[in-house]
Amino acid sequence: MLSLAETQLWIRRAVVDGDTAGIPPQLIGGRDPRRRLAIHQRHYRSSLVAAIRTKFPATAWLLGMPFLDEAAQEFVRQHPPATPCIAEYGEEFPRFLSTYLGGARVPYLCSFAELEWHLGQVAIAVDQPVLALDAFSTVEINTLMDTSLMLQAGLRYLHASWPLDGLMKLYLTDTAPSEYPLAPTDVWLEVRGSRGGFHIDRLDAAEFVFRNAILERQPIGTAAERALDAGVGFDVGRAFTTLVRGGYVIGTTSPDRGGQA
Amino acid sequence: MTISSNRRVPSGAGVGLRLPHLAEVAATRPSVPWLEIHPENFLANPHATELLLEVRRDYPISVHTVGVSVGSVGGIDYAHLRRVRSLADMIDPVLVSGHLAWSTHDGEYLNDLLPLPYDEETLRLVAAHIEEVQDILGRPYLLENPSSYVGFDTSTMSELDFLCELVCRTGCRLLCDVSNVYLSAHNLGYGPYGYIDGLPVGDIGELHLGGFTPEEDEADQGAEILIDTHAARIAEPVWELYAHAVRRFGAKPTLIEWDNDIPPFAALLAEARRADEVAGRTLALEPRHAVAG
Repeated sequence: MLSLAETQLWIRRAVVDGDTAGIPPQLIGGRDPRRRLAIHQRHYRSSLVAAIRTKFPATAWLLGMPFLDEAAQEFVRQHPPATPCIAEYGEEFPRFLSTYLGGARVPYLCSFAELEWHLGQVAIAVDQPVLALDAFSTVEINTLMDTSLMLQAGLRYLHASWPLDGLMKLYLTDTAPSEYPLAPTDVWLEVRGSRGGFHIDRLDAAEFVFRNAILERQPIGTAAERALDAGVGFDVGRAFTTLVRGGYVIGTTSPDRGGQA
Repeated sequence: MTISSNRRVPSGAGVGLRLPHLAEVAATRPSVPWLEIHPENFLANPHATELLLEVRRDYPISVHTVGVSVGSVGGIDYAHLRRVRSLADMIDPVLVSGHLAWSTHDGEYLNDLLPLPYDEETLRLVAAHIEEVQDILGRPYLLENPSSYVGFDTSTMSELDFLCELVCRTGCRLLCDVSNVYLSAHNLGYGPYGYIDGLPVGDIGELHLGGFTPEEDEADQGAEILIDTHAARIAEPVWELYAHAVRRFGAKPTLIEWDNDIPPFAALLAEARRADEVAGRTLALEPRHAVAG
């Protein structure tokens, strides 16, 4: 008789991999219980494929639903979710999709799907109360350079080698022409959203590097150094005040205080 | 420490609150006595959680977990359970429940409620996990009978005996999903009324009703199997079984579940009204059960 651990292993193989060969005769239900087990396999696949479909409608628009479904079927077989929160499932799908299709055929596919993933994530974020510029008025400049900023949760930064923001806007506004020329161009995108809404903005390279470093909780001085490497004309003072006035900043962590404000 | 909600779950039928209805419910506050959520839909969705916190001011909320895998040999996902606890602490649920099933394996979540053999090994494992769940959540846990398509000829006890023994060992109570009773009895060939009659009356804390979908049974040519889709109205034989359950258990919090092909919220409210009518009519004939339990 199989142990419970062995039983669960073969059910897992049947549900995820579709491998019913090793199923022992202890299963009961109808004349062929293995076919009953297929109900669980079908549910596993269809529910997760539906989740992928829901999260990547623009990618499906680009590829066609049959192809997206085919890729999603393989994705859910190879990459079962790690947690019960299906809202978190699918972050690796863009990279998988690119490999599945072959990167050369649609070279911007991975970035486009990543952009769509980010849109979905920022749209369910909730903006928090912001810090005003006054909060920094008494901070010494050296202290400020060592300070890290906490930004709103609904922010993502994506560098792509194709102008994907334009392509995404065609989908979102349902204004796709019959032909759309797409030429390689570096774009540095900021995706910002809250409470169901979102927008995509292009930044210049230095601003992008600065904000992305700030989002990663690098000190302002470190973020500024990286930004200056990306663009010699970068103005850290202007970039900082733009962030604060734009309602991006919700808190700080400074080395001497060691905590959050 | 066990936390008790300051609220009581009303005896009238509530409905499952799913994300497609959340904004509507938050905006219009429809007349329904209580709502049940799947916490897994809210844990990774701050905007939905924010709306839920608004909604909970006007409705008692029950938390029905779908991802707490009490039957997995690999153990409970503590990180997930702590997230459920955090949400529960915010919304002060009137009931917390989950399934007699397993759904995780070696770090993978299989997104389904998978069957268990009923024997002493499984019993010890599930009992230990339910105690952990109750400890971490800090609240009593209601365990729901599964919807089944297969069983195990290695089982040494019936599902009823298994559930009753879990109640004895852990102090948990039971959520009787009347539709699951009907569906499993049909699929595995036993009597649904006898199953209801075998459940311990004093340990039933909640009833569920949901729709199923009949299909041709590929395991048995010419036969029909019932799939627990939660994608349809409640079937007539289930309403009859529900009346029997109400006769046996008295008035219990009853919840309408509809999770797929979700209709307008009004359709759920109509099913809840029907549950109230069935319960009211049944209890009128059974005066000893006229007070909510």
